[in-house]
Amino acid sequence: MTVGITSSVPAIPLPHPEVETPSRVVDNTDGLFKSEPMPLPKPDLEAVPIPKFEKEKKKPPKITSRPSKLLENPTPPPPNAVPYGNGGRPTVPVSASTFTMGNTGATSAGLIAGGAGQGDFGSRFSWYVEAVQRRVSSNWIQSAIDPNVGYAPRVTVTFTILRNGSVTNVQITQSSNVPSVDTSAVRAVEASSPLQPLPPAYSGSNVNVEFYFDYHR
Amino acid sequence: MKPKTAVAGILAVVVALATLSTAQSARAQDWFKTGTGLGVSKARLAVPDDAARTTAAQPLAKTFHDVLWADLEYSGIIDMVSPSFYPLSVPSQPSELNGQAWAAAPANAYMVAYGNLTADASGLAFAGYLSDVHNPSAPPALQKIYRASATDADARKLAHEFADDIVALLSGGQPGIAQTQITYVSARNGNKEIWVMDYDGANQHQVTHLRSISLTPRWSPDATRIAFTCYVPYRGITSAQICIYSMPLGRLTAFPRFRGTNSSPAWSPDGSQIAFMSSENGDPEIYVANTDGSHMHRITFAAGVNTSPTWNPKTGQQMVFVSDRGGVPVLYLSNSDGSNVQKLDLPDMGYVIDPAWSPNGQLLAFSWQRPSGNYDIYVMDIVTKQLVELTRDEGRNERPSWAPDGRHLTFESTRTGTRQIWTMLADGSEPRQLTFEGQSESPNWSPK
Repeated sequence: MTVGITSSVPAIPLPHPEVETPSRVVDNTDGLFKSEPMPLPKPDLEAVPIPKFEKEKKKPPKITSRPSKLLENPTPPPPNAVPYGNGGRPTVPVSASTFTMGNTGATSAGLIAGGAGQGDFGSRFSWYVEAVQRRVSSNWIQSAIDPNVGYAPRVTVTFTILRNGSVTNVQITQSSNVPSVDTSAVRAVEASSPLQPLPPAYSGSNVNVEFYFDYHR
Repeated sequence: MKPKTAVAGILAVVVALATLSTAQSARAQDWFKTGTGLGVSKARLAVPDDAARTTAAQPLAKTFHDVLWADLEYSGIIDMVSPSFYPLSVPSQPSELNGQAWAAAPANAYMVAYGNLTADASGLAFAGYLSDVHNPSAPPALQKIYRASATDADARKLAHEFADDIVALLSGGQPGIAQTQITYVSARNGNKEIWVMDYDGANQHQVTHLRSISLTPRWSPDATRIAFTCYVPYRGITSAQICIYSMPLGRLTAFPRFRGTNSSPAWSPDGSQIAFMSSENGDPEIYVANTDGSHMHRITFAAGVNTSPTWNPKTGQQMVFVSDRGGVPVLYLSNSDGSNVQKLDLPDMGYVIDPAWSPNGQLLAFSWQRPSGNYDIYVMDIVTKQLVELTRDEGRNERPSWAPDGRHLTFESTRTGTRQIWTMLADGSEPRQLTFEGQSESPNWSPK
């Protein structure tokens, strides 16, 4: 079928369109109302097969929140384990019978302690140790740490407290390899100077401290 | 001959080595190891009643203990053991201390602060002790005799001293604030005058008697002088000027008058300079002058009002002030010579005023009126721009000022219906009302 405004003029033959395109507006192949597709058969609710009885297997308990790692690890620490900072009471040398390694002198890190001092500062003056911990912790400004760092290995800083409480000889003995964490640790120690003067009952002139910082955001 | 020498030489070396090693071990020092990572724990402290040795000391012992308890409880670093958990026998001197009983449940104390009071004709004496209950054989961490006259006011003073000594010991040398003072403005006697009180609200007394208007008092860093905005008539003209009151002299000291309006003084951390707002040249700008008014020079150059300067108390190298150069008053950070001005952006609109820099230079407290509410106190970390809101939905809360320990703030609040002075811990907890009479405003905590 052709439609045109000139169709009333029969003398002029109009060319047919080369391709007859079906009208998209009018679909005259079907009726006015389209027939609905045949509905799917309703599922027969009564025909649910009874599951075969099996011996029930215990499912693993669903973990909704991650429990503390302390609870997860049931293995008790070996009796000779080196206490690794749990934020509790400070590690103190129990007696003066500690060993000396090499001749690295008084300020060497780790477990090394000379035997000539009384060697029991931490146990005699644990209140002083905790006060130092409290002060340095409160001066540890973590906001200056690179925000991309979520966790850093332990930084250990050693320093010496003189009798009047001033802090000297601050040095990193174990770096975290994250510069901003190292810097913040050293700054925390330096910002704490002067500390409380050493206890009057303590006879020595100074005390060496090994202070670690565990950073995790 | 030669072998002999060799042997002698070896001997000498051995002796030298032995001497060296002895010297080495003698040089070796005590050490301890500790660390941080899981936050800061509070010291658990028991403070039993202090024994009154004489009958005259009995009423003072009550005052003493109440003040001591309040000081320690509010220090922010101590976890007080409830008195109902205390053992029956209370020590009054170290020989009477039963460490086991205090260390055991339910007290679970870590340290005990105790002592005895004696009052007689010569005055009041308090023998104070602080002992580690896990280590009763060791000498007390603190044993000191405090003396004063036998009055209620001096019993308070002794309690504050003892509390400060305990706090300093338990916080590792950071002084307590029990002996600090707060200056503020009160109009309870008719005019707005400068007042001073102890940090706990006791001993409130009027300092100035200018019979005009006095505003925005600020302690000098050595806590001997107070700079404030005063309205003192001069040759028939009354204008806002900077006044400085000396506490030891008990009177105003000289500070020159400048043209226009002068207000909101702030001390430099070394106490040698004062920054203030002046409209000497028309526009209200921030000027810095020596404390005698000499060498006055302008540091802000922006149209609009520039006021409320505050120095970084740690370095003295930076300043925060309020300016409405952008339309509304907000905070700007600059170097203390006025260079490198930058706006402190906040995540919301509204007026931002009353900046106060914390003693460690790390935090900035200010009051902010967000479009949705009233003025409230906020604290911002200068480095990360992290914000903490300290007050909310309780009247207007304005003009924060830091305590020297950086753990406490004082501020003014209208939460009771009238404008009064309050203090709180720097995390917004434990608000305490200090003034109750009339209207009081604009508190400033003494730096020592």
